[in-house]
Amino acid sequence: MEDPTPIPPPITVDPTEQYLLLLNEHERALAAYVHTLVPDRLDAEDILQSCKLTMWKQFANFEPGSHFIAWARKIAFHQILNLRRSARRKPLYSAEPAFLEAVAAEITRVSDGLSDRSEALHECLKRLPENQHRLLLLRYGEDHDIAAIAKETDRSTAAVYKLLSRLRAALNDCVRARLNSSTA
Amino acid sequence: MNFSDHIDRSFDGQLSEEEWDALQQAVISDPELRRQYVEQRWLHALLESESGALTGRLSEPKERQTAVMKRPFVRLAAAAAVVLFGVSLILFSQSRPAPVVATLIQAENCRWAGSDLPTVEGAGLSAGTLSLAEGMATIRFNSGATVTLEAPSVLVVESAMKCRLVEGSVVADVPESAYGFTIDTARMEVIDLGTRFGVTTTPLGDSNVFVFEGEVKVNRDDLPEPKHVFAGKSLVSEAGATPQQTDQEVLRVDATAASPGPDWTAITTSTGRGGDIYVRRGDQHGPTGSHPLLMVKHTDLAPNNERRALLCFDLAGIDRASLRSAKLALKLEPSGLGFSSLVPDSRFAVYGLVDPDTAAWSEDDLTWKNAGALVEKPIQESTATRLAEFHVLKGSPNRLVEVSADAFVDFLRTHPGETVSLMIVRETGESDRQGLVHAFASKEHPSATAPTLWLQTNREN
Repeated sequence: MEDPTPIPPPITVDPTEQYLLLLNEHERALAAYVHTLVPDRLDAEDILQSCKLTMWKQFANFEPGSHFIAWARKIAFHQILNLRRSARRKPLYSAEPAFLEAVAAEITRVSDGLSDRSEALHECLKRLPENQHRLLLLRYGEDHDIAAIAKETDRSTAAVYKLLSRLRAALNDCVRARLNSSTA
Repeated sequence: MNFSDHIDRSFDGQLSEEEWDALQQAVISDPELRRQYVEQRWLHALLESESGALTGRLSEPKERQTAVMKRPFVRLAAAAAVVLFGVSLILFSQSRPAPVVATLIQAENCRWAGSDLPTVEGAGLSAGTLSLAEGMATIRFNSGATVTLEAPSVLVVESAMKCRLVEGSVVADVPESAYGFTIDTARMEVIDLGTRFGVTTTPLGDSNVFVFEGEVKVNRDDLPEPKHVFAGKSLVSEAGATPQQTDQEVLRVDATAASPGPDWTAITTSTGRGGDIYVRRGDQHGPTGSHPLLMVKHTDLAPNNERRALLCFDLAGIDRASLRSAKLALKLEPSGLGFSSLVPDSRFAVYGLVDPDTAAWSEDDLTWKNAGALVEKPIQESTATRLAEFHVLKGSPNRLVEVSADAFVDFLRTHPGETVSLMIVRETGESDRQGLVHAFASKEHPSATAPTLWLQTNREN
């Protein structure tokens, strides 16, 4: 009997390249993680940047083959706790450590399903009716707050919030339906 | 208190500080609310963090969604990062190329057609299409699953856990880390449950799965519920809904032909009293003399699939005493049977039949059963002489195989009688009973060159 097909060793790359590859692969998941934990969007962006820098500095400590995203989350979580202490400006909502820990633990618990959620969301966005595009882009693409959107679309802030809330609920339902149908 | 409303309002600054604090406490103490918070917040976070790509996600046509994601989105923080990281990283985070989900780790004798992914060895692959015209390529998904693609095949890489086989065949080797790895085809979805398996499909969905080790789950449109297929079994679409044991190698696809050689004398198996045939041990059918392919296989795992080919050349009118060189040309053709990744680089032997009685086989009636000494193992020296050997590399294109050896010339010079008979035997076995069957064009092949004996004689002398 002959040997089965040999599996060649993995391609070796230099650390920078390896880091960039891993980061590129997991960047979205990491960004979603930070944005989930940090209520303020600009804070979240800052943390992501400093997190990437720290990860690069500490990349030598990363064990190849282990879970990059888990390692990245750990570093990000520290940055989030640190930011809380050194906050230069007070965000609208600040999260307390016990809350952060509870949410982080929940993310880890459901971690496997989260990338499916992202993929499902992408599909759902494609199916979003066109008349909802503008609202979504104003709120998330342009990062306008409700008051600005209200002004721009000539609506009350309450009405804008209602529309946004419904939009998110519809997307959430769509994501859930997709996930259910794919596991059924 | 309706905290789900609290959750949503917190996304738009519609929550008072007190309400926010109450929400935090509730999330800490209530697991169900925590689950709900993460579910809703994750969606909001994705929208926030992928804002730069949002326009693209909304308006792009469905199929090419990952390919273009432009709209540079420069933020203060990103600008700061230029200083910190240098240009390359910034290119990464701004243009946000599709994430790499797999690596092309091996490409043997490959010719690619119409792929929108890089096709050099070592290339990182994002979601996209690989179209392999010739050869064999191995892809390692980031989940750990390895997929070997055999030409001609078209594979769409979707994620680290999923790919879609549009047509052709693949063998997947899935470690535990990639449990649940899925291969989709037009008509069925094969979900790995820790295994090694092969999948073949035509674009119309004539899809088959063969499990070599472990177990897979198959979802098929016409089956009310998923079928589990275990090692040694297959689920073949034409054979209905029951997984079964198959010895018959999987039927695959068809390809085309090539051209001959220099200015010698060419004698093919269709010249004069020539002929060609193959015999298969387990064959229930009659002689294969009019078959367009000469199938050859060696296997210890499914002995009934052992196949040998026989060629007869009419050398009438050739001055054999002055023969200077000789070579045998065989056109390798896809047999459509078996997976080449289950058969290593293969060695073949060419035998010259010396026993006049055995050499007098006829296309009209030769089968394994009446082939006598021809199919003995080992082949006796009184029956045939081993003249030459040749190799066919794994995944090699359907090329013309040329075999020449001094022993060839000697055999032809000294052989009595006007016709010579040669036998082709594969000496390399297979690692699974679904291994590739090699095939060469016979004289009945509609387009490819028949087995040809090229002879060079000393005309000048």
